[in-house]
Amino acid sequence: MAIADAGVLYGLLAVGAGLATGLAGIGAGVGEQGIGAAVVGVVAEEPGFLGKGLFLMLLPETLIIFGLAVSLILMFAWTPFASLVAAP
Amino acid sequence: MLRPVKMSRVVVAGSKDVISPVIEKLHELRLLHIVNYNGSQPEFGLGKPIGKAKEYSEDLIKLRSFARYLDIKSKAPEKTYPEAQVLSEKDNLLNNVGADVSSTYERITAIEAEVKSKQDQITTLRPLAVLPLPLESYYGYDSLAVFVGRVATPVDADVARVSPANDVYSGSTKNATIVAVFVPIEKAGEVSSVLSEHGFAEMSVPRLEGNVDSAIATLEGGIKSLEGEKLPLQKKLAETKKQYEDLILATDEYLSMQTQKTEAPLRFAETANAFVIDGWAPSDQVSRLKSELESAAGGKIDVQVLDDKEADDLVERGEDVPTKIENPSLVRPYELITRLFAVPEYKEFDPSLLIFVFFPIMFGMILGDVGYGIMIMLAVLLLKKKFRTPGWQQLVNIVLIASVWAIIFGFFFGEIFGPLGLWTKVMGGLPEAQIELLKEHGLYFGEGVYGALGRLGPLGIFPMDRLATNAVLLLIGTSIYIGVIHCSVGSILGIKTELNYGEKKHAYFERLPVMLFQIFFALFLLGLVMGQSALVIAGGIVIVVSVVMMVMGPEGPMGLAHVPFYVSNLISYLRLLAIGLASVGLAFAANQLAFYVIMPMLSGGAESPTIIAAIVGIVILTVVHFINMLLGILSPFMHPLRLHYVEMFTKFYSAHGGGVEYSPFGHVRRFLKA
Repeated sequence: MAIADAGVLYGLLAVGAGLATGLAGIGAGVGEQGIGAAVVGVVAEEPGFLGKGLFLMLLPETLIIFGLAVSLILMFAWTPFASLVAAP
Repeated sequence: MLRPVKMSRVVVAGSKDVISPVIEKLHELRLLHIVNYNGSQPEFGLGKPIGKAKEYSEDLIKLRSFARYLDIKSKAPEKTYPEAQVLSEKDNLLNNVGADVSSTYERITAIEAEVKSKQDQITTLRPLAVLPLPLESYYGYDSLAVFVGRVATPVDADVARVSPANDVYSGSTKNATIVAVFVPIEKAGEVSSVLSEHGFAEMSVPRLEGNVDSAIATLEGGIKSLEGEKLPLQKKLAETKKQYEDLILATDEYLSMQTQKTEAPLRFAETANAFVIDGWAPSDQVSRLKSELESAAGGKIDVQVLDDKEADDLVERGEDVPTKIENPSLVRPYELITRLFAVPEYKEFDPSLLIFVFFPIMFGMILGDVGYGIMIMLAVLLLKKKFRTPGWQQLVNIVLIASVWAIIFGFFFGEIFGPLGLWTKVMGGLPEAQIELLKEHGLYFGEGVYGALGRLGPLGIFPMDRLATNAVLLLIGTSIYIGVIHCSVGSILGIKTELNYGEKKHAYFERLPVMLFQIFFALFLLGLVMGQSALVIAGGIVIVVSVVMMVMGPEGPMGLAHVPFYVSNLISYLRLLAIGLASVGLAFAANQLAFYVIMPMLSGGAESPTIIAAIVGIVILTVVHFINMLLGILSPFMHPLRLHYVEMFTKFYSAHGGGVEYSPFGHVRRFLKA
């Protein structure tokens, strides 16, 4: 079965993929904001904490990767749609 | 390599007669990590400093105080000095040079203060130029009160109201009105409150004479001559610094060493006639330590090595075994990354070797560009010459090795400054028709070729254009499997560490199931993608088994709460693909913009670009690629770092708290000749 307006479907997929990465990015940013501020504070008092601080700071970064994984699946690997929609 | 160096507990006991030669020898050998005596046993007291400890530390303070005036900081040595020379020049340096530097520096400070005060006076005088009064008329009255300052509104009428006898002068500058009000002293209070209603802000008039302009001119002349005096003084300091910098650092080193030696007994246990030193030394060096010390003390000493059981007892009672990390020189820079996280405990693993294996590959996989790799390599080689401190050298070496991998992966990905760019021009590409054919069959992995060799690898996947759909899918898989290997290595070390601590339950029911879960979860996914039901079933069974093991483990059913974390660990490795895609995307956009939009547009659609088009194109390419490269150093560095710290280290590292780094008694000579 082929959907008549494949372009629309492909466009919606792209919008969804964009939202997935974009919103995940906002979430991670909000998370890192607090951690980053706290880490800078601690490092100012105790420079030895830099490594652990960096570690904590990078923890929420994974959220973006989740979003990105969803995007990649939508764009490249979502087989039910991929078979219906040929990339223009 | 993977383990810290094996240590032995050593006790050195001897007669106080030989304490000096023993300390001297220990200092020279740099083998014994001294355990400070805490005074816990009544038979032994704390040791006292020997020799001229006080004198040395006083000299050191003197030296450092004027070294600070010269702004001398630790740096790589240019020349080294024999101890005798330092000793003979020490007095001259500390007394004559030091006094000279101090007085010069103090004079400079005084000049600066004077200049500052003159400048302040000029700032206050300048607005007074609008009033017609000479400076001496502002002060020196017994019966008059003088108010000089800025006001917001005219004050004449109000002043006249409270004090009929008055003299008011006013004038306006660019942004304020300046007034000088003279009233009888008994009216001062009332006038003051009236003035404050007009927003009066008082200015303190310097006690100078003559008219304002000439006073300013005099002050400026004064500043000029002071500056003239300061310049040669600063030059003199700079020359002194140039002449004595290395000698001062060498003397600092000598005095530090002497202080260290003379104050060492503070860390020993002592009786009236004997001393005892506790410490740790690398096991393979113990016999050397023993024989060297015995010969230095002429036999009046006893060096005992505790057997492992006794040493373990001490550790049980809270003594830390120092960790000595030792790696081949190629791996050594990566100790920086280990230390940034934490020094491993004695019984834990030193992950530097693993970082050396994985980190550059991850960096290379993310950056993967021949052009960027070469640029980074050149930049880093320049930095290597410039920054010679050990910390910088380590960092520079890390990036240097990583940039080699970036170049290697650049060949896999067929990128020279991004896709669409130089690769096809240098190495050639597939003909249009063949690309269409490949796309039709879903086998398109990129259009570049390796010159006459064509495309290489199974299905001709190399050079792989990372923006092609097939390549993205392949790299997703590759990233996750790199994650599986990376995490599994971490888990294996975790199991061994737990066994070292004798925690069998933690090893087999906490660490092992994680590894099984991650490996078979990845196989399960692979089975789903490939449609291999055998793999799916096998994977599913082992996943269930591992989860059951976790429940049986020390945490019980709570262990299940970690399962999502193990999955997210693996997904996290997608960043190896993702960060790379971002930078490829930017490079692609730059090339597209320059080669396919701007240049044809400015050339009016001609085949070969005009000169202006070429220049504009090159400017755009340079700017965007430069920005991309800066990002391209930062993210490929930070993200693999995170993959190590968060995904790998948590599997085995510092579950028992950070270790104590081995720092043997002694000093590394930098400015002093041995």
